[in-house]
Amino acid sequence: MQITTARHAHVTVVAVAGSIDALTADTLTARFGEEVLSGNPRLVADFEGVEYTSSAGLRVLLAAVKAARQQGGDLRLAAVRAPVLRVLELSGFTSILKCYADVPSAVASFLG
Amino acid sequence: MTAAPPLRARHLPAVRREDLAGVRAFVAEACRAAGGCPAACEALVLAADEVCANVVLHAYPSAAPGPLTVAVARVGDDLLVTATDAGPPFDPTRLPPVAEPRTLEERSPGGLGWHLVRQVVDAVRYERLAHGNRVTLVRRAGG
Repeated sequence: MQITTARHAHVTVVAVAGSIDALTADTLTARFGEEVLSGNPRLVADFEGVEYTSSAGLRVLLAAVKAARQQGGDLRLAAVRAPVLRVLELSGFTSILKCYADVPSAVASFLG
Repeated sequence: MTAAPPLRARHLPAVRREDLAGVRAFVAEACRAAGGCPAACEALVLAADEVCANVVLHAYPSAAPGPLTVAVARVGDDLLVTATDAGPPFDPTRLPPVAEPRTLEERSPGGLGWHLVRQVVDAVRYERLAHGNRVTLVRRAGG
């Protein structure tokens, strides 16, 4: 799994590539946690490069969205691929996380 | 019923988190070879990953990892994936079902994995062995 972070004026985009599982989840949890603790609670997770997630990825997203919202921000998903979206839907996560077709839409959603 | 193709198995003498990607690749390939449709293969890869991650994280101390054997077989119309460990007794079929929480605050990180497993496969079976556990995931091979 690779993580690339890009800070915009009001939003931080965390682009993830690869597989999220019990091995890689902790690294991603730490990345989101660092952003929230650094005063960047408005987060977009760019999942275009995520080909697979297990429940470990769900736990990452759950912790991150809770932390972000507690600090007045949010975590929003962009460009989620079909297999990952199925896992989110099966777990009911699409009702608590906002998903956007691409990164620009997700970034723009924070400006409205 | 057609004859079952030879059973494929992968044995890991000391399973670690680093092995999970290899387990997924093995299950994907073995399920394809056994005639599983893409949806069945995807479901069994996810379910097997959840079961094996549970073994890595909970069956053994992190400083003393133990064995895990993953096997794939075709029985009639079904694909079977078994995960056999040497850990203390743990029967996932006796876990209470997870109620679907409606709000973020009600959501707990616990139980997400087994909740997923139960949704993507047709059956989960459990056997307590003399020195371990065997979990069998059953999924129709086609459709």
